[in-house]
Amino acid sequence: MIRAALIGLALIAALAMLPLVVPLTSFTHNQLTLAFMFISAALAWNWLGGYLGQISFGHAAMFGVGGFVAARAILAGVPMVLAWLVGGLAAGLYSLAWGHPTLRLRGPYFSIATIGVGEATRFVLTWWERFTGGSSGLSLPITPGLKHTLYWYGLGLLAATGAASHLIRRSKLGLGLFAIKADVDAAGDIGINATRLQDLVLFASGTAVGVAGGFYASYFSFIEPVDLFGFDRSISFVLMAVIGGVGTIYGPALGAIVFVLLQQFLVATYPQLYLGLYGALLVLVILFEPLGLSGLALRLAHRLGYRARPDLESPA
Amino acid sequence: MTALLKAEGLSKQFGGLKAVDAVDLEVGEGEILGVIGPNGAGKTTLFSLLAGSVAPSAGRILLDGKPLRGPACKVVHAGVVRTHQIVRPFLNLTVFDNVAAAAQFGARRHGADARKFAADLVHLVGLGARAQEFPGTLTLSGRKRLELARALATEPRVLLLDEVIAGVDPAEAQALTRLVREVRETRKLSILMIEHVMPALMSLSDRVLVLDSGRKIAQGTPAEVAHDPRVIECYLGHKP
Repeated sequence: MIRAALIGLALIAALAMLPLVVPLTSFTHNQLTLAFMFISAALAWNWLGGYLGQISFGHAAMFGVGGFVAARAILAGVPMVLAWLVGGLAAGLYSLAWGHPTLRLRGPYFSIATIGVGEATRFVLTWWERFTGGSSGLSLPITPGLKHTLYWYGLGLLAATGAASHLIRRSKLGLGLFAIKADVDAAGDIGINATRLQDLVLFASGTAVGVAGGFYASYFSFIEPVDLFGFDRSISFVLMAVIGGVGTIYGPALGAIVFVLLQQFLVATYPQLYLGLYGALLVLVILFEPLGLSGLALRLAHRLGYRARPDLESPA
Repeated sequence: MTALLKAEGLSKQFGGLKAVDAVDLEVGEGEILGVIGPNGAGKTTLFSLLAGSVAPSAGRILLDGKPLRGPACKVVHAGVVRTHQIVRPFLNLTVFDNVAAAAQFGARRHGADARKFAADLVHLVGLGARAQEFPGTLTLSGRKRLELARALATEPRVLLLDEVIAGVDPAEAQALTRLVREVRETRKLSILMIEHVMPALMSLSDRVLVLDSGRKIAQGTPAEVAHDPRVIECYLGHKP
């Protein structure tokens, strides 16, 4: 626990110093900022999708609710970080509203329900023009230099979600989530209140993804429902986690980095094909390396004679 | 004898099938009550009712005179826990973590105390050397031992054992029988056990309850039950 905290702190400190020491181009600087935000969202998705094993194809709903509530709060004069938190809280409460009844579904049934929730949310908020500005979206006042500063805010968000990922996994809550994932009825038979734990982790996940949505709104100073609530946004969270390693602690962070890099390349080179290529990637990972890059890394480490702690190798 | 766990007119109906039909039962403090009956007699459903994972259609369950209702996690906290006939370990957690989860959530122990408690139980059931392995690597009897350790980790007052001995080799069955007897003595547990392994059941039980088609058809000491004509009939059919 202490070792992980030290490594995490060192990593965050190094990233915080990076732009001061190395002359980054403004493009790289901004790419990193965006990567921090996506990593945070992917880690938070993984609390639900990885630790609990309830795969959500609707997390864009929380991303969007967080984004629009935060944007409205900023427009109403609330300070930026507080506005993100308000957005996050709204997203967390929204996730409870649909999640409490649907989390009793398991596996594919839950996933199908989340697709419905995501699409319904997109539809309603696209037509709710008074709140979201409809398809013309919402613009935020542009603050000079904000985009540059957001690098460190994004890093803060990453530090928070990274620490939470570690703490949840290694705590009593994590043990309970893994037990529910393996066998929800047997979990009840040893005194685990599955309803309460599932609600708790969904609320945490929805809130963190909502804060990421608020951050996204500040970063672009302009948001529109089709972008925030789109189905491909929901899919992107799934992809990041799957590429990196569903259910591992930091795999989704790796996945998010790969995703951001690929996205830049693919959108620029094959704008019509890129979603198809993601689909192909998803199929390949699930067929050949269900633990994604983490599984690959573990296998390489084994080759080199390193033995990981057995709990790191637990079947997802 | 004062009854610790008591059921009155307990019934469960699935559509047109009365799986459990107006069963009364009592288990005293520290008593072992055996439950036998042919396949489909309603033994496991009776356990699901007592454990709170299935809601009764009629009747009620009392623990220490107080009504006991589901969901299962609440019943566990009240002190009644079950094991499963078809073992259900958490395959994604180590043997130790399986038991530690039960100690933390079932017995509400924390930190080092929970770890020590879980480690002792893992040793008690003879899985000490396998604590850091995943349950997938255990033999059936190993998994039954894990199932027992996990149930004990919730610190129950009443333990419901669903065929914890059946399906293992004779030597292992004897070892498990000794283990059940030992935990009853040391932990002052009341135990209800469903078992098809008659030598084990007859030697362990203080009393035996016989179910057939959901109804209680006999109850008494192992010797009484073994000679009861209704029991012989339900297992072997009419004398010609």
